[in-house]
Amino acid sequence: MRPAGIRRSPSAGGPQNAPVPSAADPARRPHPVRLVVTDDLARRRVTVLFRLVLAIPHLLWLGLFGIAAVMLSFVAWLAVLFEGRVPTTVHRFLASYVRYTVHLTAYLALAAGPYPAFTGGTPYPVDVEIDPPARQGRLAAGFRLVLMVPAALLSSVLAGSGAFGPFWGVGAAFLTGSLALVAGFLGWFAALARGRMPRGLRDAAAFAIGYGAQTSAYALLVTDRYPDATPGRVQPEPVLPRHPIAAAVRDDLVRPRLIVAFRGLLSIPHLLWLALWGVAALLAAVVAWVLALVLGRVPRVLHRFLAAFVRANVHLYAFLFVVGRPFPGFVGREGSYPVDVTIAPPGRQRRLGVLFRLVLLVPALLVVSAYWSVLLVVAVLGWFAALVTGRMPGGIRDLGVAALRYHAQASGYAFLLTSRYPDSSPALAGRPVAAAEAPPSPEPAA
Amino acid sequence: MTALRVAVAALLAIGWVALAWLLAGTVVPDDLRLPHVDVDRVFGRRLVDRAEHFERFLFVVWILSQVVLLATLGVYAKRGARFARESAAGPIGTGMLLGMIGLAIVWLVQLPFGLAALWWERRHGISEVGYFEWAFGGWFALGGEFVAICIGLLVVMALARWLGSWWWIPGALVFTAIVALVVFVSPYLTTGLEPTDDVALQRTYERFKRDQGVEGVPLRVEEVSGDTSQANAYAFGLGPSRRVVLWDTLLDGRFTNREVGVVMAHELGHQSSDHIAKGIGWFALFALPATFLLMVVTRWRGGMGEPAAVPVALFAIALFQLAGAPAQNVVSRRMEAEADWKALSTTRDPAAARGLFREFSVTSLGDPSPPTWAYLFLQTHPTLAQRVAMATAWAKANGR
Repeated sequence: MRPAGIRRSPSAGGPQNAPVPSAADPARRPHPVRLVVTDDLARRRVTVLFRLVLAIPHLLWLGLFGIAAVMLSFVAWLAVLFEGRVPTTVHRFLASYVRYTVHLTAYLALAAGPYPAFTGGTPYPVDVEIDPPARQGRLAAGFRLVLMVPAALLSSVLAGSGAFGPFWGVGAAFLTGSLALVAGFLGWFAALARGRMPRGLRDAAAFAIGYGAQTSAYALLVTDRYPDATPGRVQPEPVLPRHPIAAAVRDDLVRPRLIVAFRGLLSIPHLLWLALWGVAALLAAVVAWVLALVLGRVPRVLHRFLAAFVRANVHLYAFLFVVGRPFPGFVGREGSYPVDVTIAPPGRQRRLGVLFRLVLLVPALLVVSAYWSVLLVVAVLGWFAALVTGRMPGGIRDLGVAALRYHAQASGYAFLLTSRYPDSSPALAGRPVAAAEAPPSPEPAA
Repeated sequence: MTALRVAVAALLAIGWVALAWLLAGTVVPDDLRLPHVDVDRVFGRRLVDRAEHFERFLFVVWILSQVVLLATLGVYAKRGARFARESAAGPIGTGMLLGMIGLAIVWLVQLPFGLAALWWERRHGISEVGYFEWAFGGWFALGGEFVAICIGLLVVMALARWLGSWWWIPGALVFTAIVALVVFVSPYLTTGLEPTDDVALQRTYERFKRDQGVEGVPLRVEEVSGDTSQANAYAFGLGPSRRVVLWDTLLDGRFTNREVGVVMAHELGHQSSDHIAKGIGWFALFALPATFLLMVVTRWRGGMGEPAAVPVALFAIALFQLAGAPAQNVVSRRMEAEADWKALSTTRDPAAARGLFREFSVTSLGDPSPPTWAYLFLQTHPTLAQRVAMATAWAKANGR
């Protein structure tokens, strides 16, 4: 069974989402802080409407809880430095705090429905499992504040500064741009209108909160395992419906240092070329829009032209942001780059959806901007990592792929390559949606 | 067939020489004999010693940088083709990648020498640019070079894939057209050039323009005093985009109005003698044999249509530039001498010219009489001693 949202690259020999030995190695032990999502997406409109107000007591309590957690984390730090292990009582308290921040942030971002408990000790629809205390390396603990900086950077664009912050408080999350914030903001409107949280937005927020929890746990010495940015690491396996625009990855994570060092400069010809191509693509999109309104479909030649443009953008950004390895081609040919997107042939589109495409695009553009922030941090972290080690860390490479896939899906929707709305979920693999909950086929056969 | 080739080659050579002869003409009298200049007396022994000491270090840095550059590009020519594996682009895109990587390597290996030269200039108060700013402030310009090499390779490789080994003829023409275009548009793209608010200076400039029969060509001042204490000026542009630009360091009081006048008249001399257009002509003349040689030396890597030939081409270009530098400097010095002669004829003030050239030695620590090899490879202007000699010769010829 092929994972949804991901297609096998025509030229790839194996499963396209499996060349990630560093991140997806089954032999690797699971992370001590694991995201568990049992949420059913149902939301009561009245609690959605007043969610921020309802959260005020929690925000006040979080401040006090946070102060205690910071003080105890210092005790934990000393304990690790001298004993190599956090005392069980202290670990339990800090783990409760981490879980509590997860519950509260999930509640605020509408990733979960129920009002959370104040202790962090009871199960919640978006939760983390935390392993008991284990031995920790003294040296890594000694420099924990320095070592956590990259994870904190990524966490800030995923979950907002609050998610990893006993230092800033959850409230700060809503003052900073983050994927969870955008998901919560858009989810608020959707949940008010439909009484349900869109699955993609929920999954995006849950992943972001999960990464934030791992960062908090690392910072507070609950674990010495570095946060894992691989999207879709959640229990149970996430649902990921098929989409006409899917990622296709056959990258080996190797990055020659010289090409990494000058990646920005090496991308200049492509940037200029795509700026020129973009003008033509914009004109073509206008023509496609008019024809789609008249014919109910985009002519194949225009679809092919615009699809190539979207793919060329993905190839360039994959190269520029260190998500892909080789220097890309200029024509956006499918299968020509290890980080690619496959785009289904043109199908019929509803005229009403075509007419209001620009308006409908606005929420997706907000998610695109959040994913772009993620992509920029992925690029910075990946650039340094690849320059030092000659390899791109698998987790942040996959996160970059997810961001690029969303960008491609949003571009495809904007350029009328598909009538299917972009899927916000960052998961690169998952079980297909069950028949009963499957949306109607968006792309009838051409 | 061979006879035909020889005949065509001979015709081309004759045409080349004829065009060179036409471009090389100047208003400097052919029978002008420059008098001997005692540099110790004119510039002062102490200044000469200081300038020699200053330039000696820079010469060593230059020699080392050239050795390292050629060695690096030599290795790159041999092994650089393996970077083609890092490309998912087609042959031309891969060629661009190899060209840009070559440029990046050149930047990296030249960085220490540039920093050493900067350290030396800062030590002598010539430059005020910070090390970090120097190394990384120029990334925009470096990006421009990356684009330029991509455009160049796009032209060459596309022509080579289309025309085979005959690409070098249209290639040279296209490059000349690109250079002409860049020369034409660069004044419009250059920012930070302001009109002067010095009425007397502007009036003098207008008078010199009338004397030299120049129309248009506005005077502009460029602020560089935050980066360097050196004084300089330049003329650029083509047709309606022509400009004369003075650095503000020339107007900070270290030079007299008469000396500044000589500078303005010199730059106007470039414009009135069409040196910039002639420079494009010279570029075309040098480009033809250079592209021909490039075609020949890249044959063993499949010709310029193949990406593997790009590293070889970079090495060859570096060699051509070094080997061709003496000839290019001869042309450049000839134009500069003509501009000096026109400046003297316009200002009729050889004493101010002599004072200016002496002051240049002070402000720029230029060696009035550099070693012969440095004169051949690095000197785009006549030496300061030669320029003083020309002022003296002009005075003698005109009874001053």
